[in-house]
Amino acid sequence: MTIRKKGYTHWEGELKESFLVWFPLTRLGIKLAFQRRFFRLFFFSSFLPALIFLAGIYISERLEDFRFMLKGSPPFLQITPNFFKIYLSSGLFLVLLVLMMIFVGSGLIADDLRFNALQLYFARPLRKIDYLVGKIATLSFFILLLSLVPGLLFILFKLLFAGNLVFLRTYPWLPLAVIGYSLLLTLFFAGYALALSALSRNSRYVSLMIFGIYIASDIVFGIFYQNFHHPYLALLSIKLNLQQVAAAIFGQKPFYQVPWELSLAILLGLMVGAYFILQRRIRSVEVVK
Amino acid sequence: MRQSKTLELRNISYAYGRIKALSGISLAVDRGPIGLLGPNGAGKSTLLRLLLGFLSIQEGEAKVMGYDIARETKRVRQIVGYMPEDESYIPGVDGVTLTALLGELSGMPRQEAMKRAHDVLFYVGLGESRYRLVDTYSKGMRQRLKLAQALVHDPQLVLLDEPTSGLDPQGREEILELIKDIAAHGVQVLVSSHILPDIEETCKEVIILNRGQVAAQGNLQQLKQLNFNLYELRLKGEPTRFLNRLQAEGCQVEKMEEGYWKLYLPSELSARLVFKLAVEEKVQIRHFLKSQSRLEDLFAQVVGEEE
Repeated sequence: MTIRKKGYTHWEGELKESFLVWFPLTRLGIKLAFQRRFFRLFFFSSFLPALIFLAGIYISERLEDFRFMLKGSPPFLQITPNFFKIYLSSGLFLVLLVLMMIFVGSGLIADDLRFNALQLYFARPLRKIDYLVGKIATLSFFILLLSLVPGLLFILFKLLFAGNLVFLRTYPWLPLAVIGYSLLLTLFFAGYALALSALSRNSRYVSLMIFGIYIASDIVFGIFYQNFHHPYLALLSIKLNLQQVAAAIFGQKPFYQVPWELSLAILLGLMVGAYFILQRRIRSVEVVK
Repeated sequence: MRQSKTLELRNISYAYGRIKALSGISLAVDRGPIGLLGPNGAGKSTLLRLLLGFLSIQEGEAKVMGYDIARETKRVRQIVGYMPEDESYIPGVDGVTLTALLGELSGMPRQEAMKRAHDVLFYVGLGESRYRLVDTYSKGMRQRLKLAQALVHDPQLVLLDEPTSGLDPQGREEILELIKDIAAHGVQVLVSSHILPDIEETCKEVIILNRGQVAAQGNLQQLKQLNFNLYELRLKGEPTRFLNRLQAEGCQVEKMEEGYWKLYLPSELSARLVFKLAVEEKVQIRHFLKSQSRLEDLFAQVVGEEE
């Protein structure tokens, strides 16, 4: 390996401050995720539910053509806000998001801690908040691709297939509901995955925690609910809290007779907890040991 | 570029809880390369953390290249390059991506950062391996990579923490050559190392820390000459009382091989004193040779003196 073939040369350019200083971190996070072949397979298959729902919108506008296949008009083909609630808060969809967090989020901070990358980042004009925004934006990219983008496309295709604006006139608030709920999902899952990623230097343990806590909260609810049948026990489950809030946002009756505000408060509480974990774990004293 | 001192510290103190890591440090260094020395726990790492703004100054004022660390942290980090001591890298990326990413985070435009990353990787000798995943790099290659990422944004000052740690002799020589070349091209260099010959080979100025305080600071050559004179002695007879009296006069004595002693004589004392005391204590001096003082001797003298 020859060294110093070229002597040290100065760079003639000018360093600039940018409010998008975190963006290279986001770009890197997305690039690293797509480098894994198994993730690429998972990523593209995670759009299958969206495609099925899109087909549902098409069929709903062509019921006459498909009557030979259908008996009556199943709820799946009634395009109301409930249709959107079902897509964005079904158990399957939420598990897809959890798996996405495992693939993309588990190593986002854990690997930086394990390989001492924080000191490389923070020796640059990068604040802790920039670092966190960069990481959150990586996860947001994937979550919004699965939630916000299909949600808005459903509305657009419904209008295109119908050939009129009746649907939007009937539910003018629906785009805002899709945006609001997608943002809630994004902030919750990004905070959840990053906080757990910051708790360990081993991304495998983080993966187990991301999946384990989500599933365990549902199992604990199931065990208690079987014995006590109290609707407030739904507050123990991450999935049910998300579904309760989704029902409220999309103007549906929540499945459990619990004020949805309580579910929202629990989700917000978990986000605040995640913020404190991140504040504590991404500390400057971690930077140089 | 501001024409300012490389480092200006005024009464800097820092404590981790009750443990004082730095205590009232004041110093000013005009030009480098600067060597930062000190035994374990002397406060070197804390000083580097403060210079990079990783830790907030609790007391005093500090400026790097004329920029206040507390108020202009972002600017300081833009003009400083940092090569950490421990293994640090981003897994899953190749050398050029890592280097370019860190250049971009420093404020370089993306394309410029990529172009410059290629240049610095060639410069440190990783040109042929720049597209390999950094996970597959050897220890020596990662050491070079850390140097490359510290240089990518063309800093005015580079802080090198144990730059030759874990390198084979040839790798060490090459890194030292690079450090000298960087310094020769106008980049200020601060090398923190426990390998004294590295400092001696690369640095003109030296700061020796001990117990959170500056034990010695200044031009290396002058320090070696001004602080003390070094002699090698061979004694015959019972030396204990003689040695005790030398120490009482402010000398430091270190045993070498059988019968040989190393004597650090403060510059204000004359060599005649040694002979006078030898006569009084009935000790024969069979060998008395003025020795060339090395950084190791200076270090042993100032740190030993403090202890």
